[in-house]
Amino acid sequence: MSEFEPRIVGFLCNWCTYAGADLAGTSRIQYPPNMKPIRVMCSAAVDSVYIVRALMEGADGVFIGGCHPGDCHYVSGNYKTRRRMVLFNSIMRSLGLDEERVLLRWISAAEGKRFADTITEFTEKLRKKGLSPFKTLWEV
Amino acid sequence: MSPEEPKNLRAEGRSGRLKVEGGDPVATIKAVCARWLKEGVLSAVMLPAVSRNGVAAPALFSDPEAVRDSGVPFLPAMGVNTASVVDEIAFNPAPGVKVGVFLRPCEARAVVELVKLQQVVLDGLVLIGVDCPGTYRAADFGEVAGSDGANFVNRFLQEQDRYLAENRFRTACTMCEFPTPLVFDLHIGFLGMNSKEALWVAAGSEKGAELLNGIDIEAIPEPESRQKFIEELRTKRQLRAEEQIKELDKRALGPENLVRYFAACLNCHNCMKVCPVCYCRECFFESEALERDLDEVVRISRHKGGTRMPQGTLLFHITRMNHMMTSCVQCGICEDSCPVKIGLSVLFKKVSRNAQKEFDYLSGRSLDEPLPLVTFREDEFRTIGE
Repeated sequence: MSEFEPRIVGFLCNWCTYAGADLAGTSRIQYPPNMKPIRVMCSAAVDSVYIVRALMEGADGVFIGGCHPGDCHYVSGNYKTRRRMVLFNSIMRSLGLDEERVLLRWISAAEGKRFADTITEFTEKLRKKGLSPFKTLWEV
Repeated sequence: MSPEEPKNLRAEGRSGRLKVEGGDPVATIKAVCARWLKEGVLSAVMLPAVSRNGVAAPALFSDPEAVRDSGVPFLPAMGVNTASVVDEIAFNPAPGVKVGVFLRPCEARAVVELVKLQQVVLDGLVLIGVDCPGTYRAADFGEVAGSDGANFVNRFLQEQDRYLAENRFRTACTMCEFPTPLVFDLHIGFLGMNSKEALWVAAGSEKGAELLNGIDIEAIPEPESRQKFIEELRTKRQLRAEEQIKELDKRALGPENLVRYFAACLNCHNCMKVCPVCYCRECFFESEALERDLDEVVRISRHKGGTRMPQGTLLFHITRMNHMMTSCVQCGICEDSCPVKIGLSVLFKKVSRNAQKEFDYLSGRSLDEPLPLVTFREDEFRTIGE
């Protein structure tokens, strides 16, 4: 069997991270193809239900990209995302689930390199972690 | 985390001993309610009631005689969280209509959360917070109380030690750190008091102080014996909570244990429907958003070889936690409503406590404290996202 390839669901903010990903592409920076990007208008539009659903249905990781604090197109969306992430992580810890399978990172439209590095790092980290435990649990 | 003095409903007003008539605290409070109605201080009063036909539920009375007849202040049986009822009626205040609502501490906390969630408007309400050493499940109450449910309350108040030692309360109550209300217009207390003789009464606001007009209150500081009683009860409950959370950790942590913990879940969503702070008029999980076509379900089943139907039970619970844990008041009414008896009280106790700690927040502590998820500071949680 070939090496385990993690599957990542990515939610990229339209104004920063998605453009950052675009820049990575147009700059021909290589990064692993493990993430399936979904463009959202703001990182704060990513309700926890979408993160949890991706995990429950077998994604090995979930990536959320937003504008740097202070740069949100909607002024304060990412600050709220940040608080929700704190809550999300706390709940994951309380339930004994692996919070490291969800990554939030601020990536601006100018940071193509940072985007590529982030996805590379995250993919490698998940590769080491191995299959998501939910991937084999059909009864969730 | 200790409850702070609520800032916004702060009493300039009065506190002290309310003399109990005829050794009957329940009748005394009912007489006070009747007086409020008669004098028009309140348009109606909502409190637990027991009817001849065996209905035990919160009821809204506008007739003084009806209160005397069926009202049972301090009834230690909980079938609904009264905040859910308040949520249904207290959005459009009408001029001149003022309803006094008896609330247990967890119920008062839920009302505070609902105010902050913009579901309840306090204008037409007077929050009458009462002490609560614990409540029985409606189903157990008959057995504990015997045939005279209403008179049981006086026995319950007079033999507090005995009933506390027995500890047959609802699971959530056995872990409750808040036997006294945190936010209130008027507080009526009996814990650590000789309730045959006197109750503790304190106004928490102007509104509450108005209710005390013309009622004879002996102005004294809160008795030390009462404070000690409450402190000891809180300590005991905190220990009990730690014990139960330790037990929970043995069986509910991690993906497989969590699946096992929720294995019997029917996806009935009762826990959500009875939750006082789960406020959405239409729940995402009951919307069309999660409906799927046959081909999609089949495709999803291929990822794992199969899929449990109905889909998304654990998804529902974990997402609900993400939506509600900062406002959870740990009343445990979710567990009571669960047809398959999933241990939600202790789970939510743990998860919500941890979650609220992250934001130095305590649900229902204060009307001034903004909800954690609608506010932020620029200079916080700096490591996240970097």
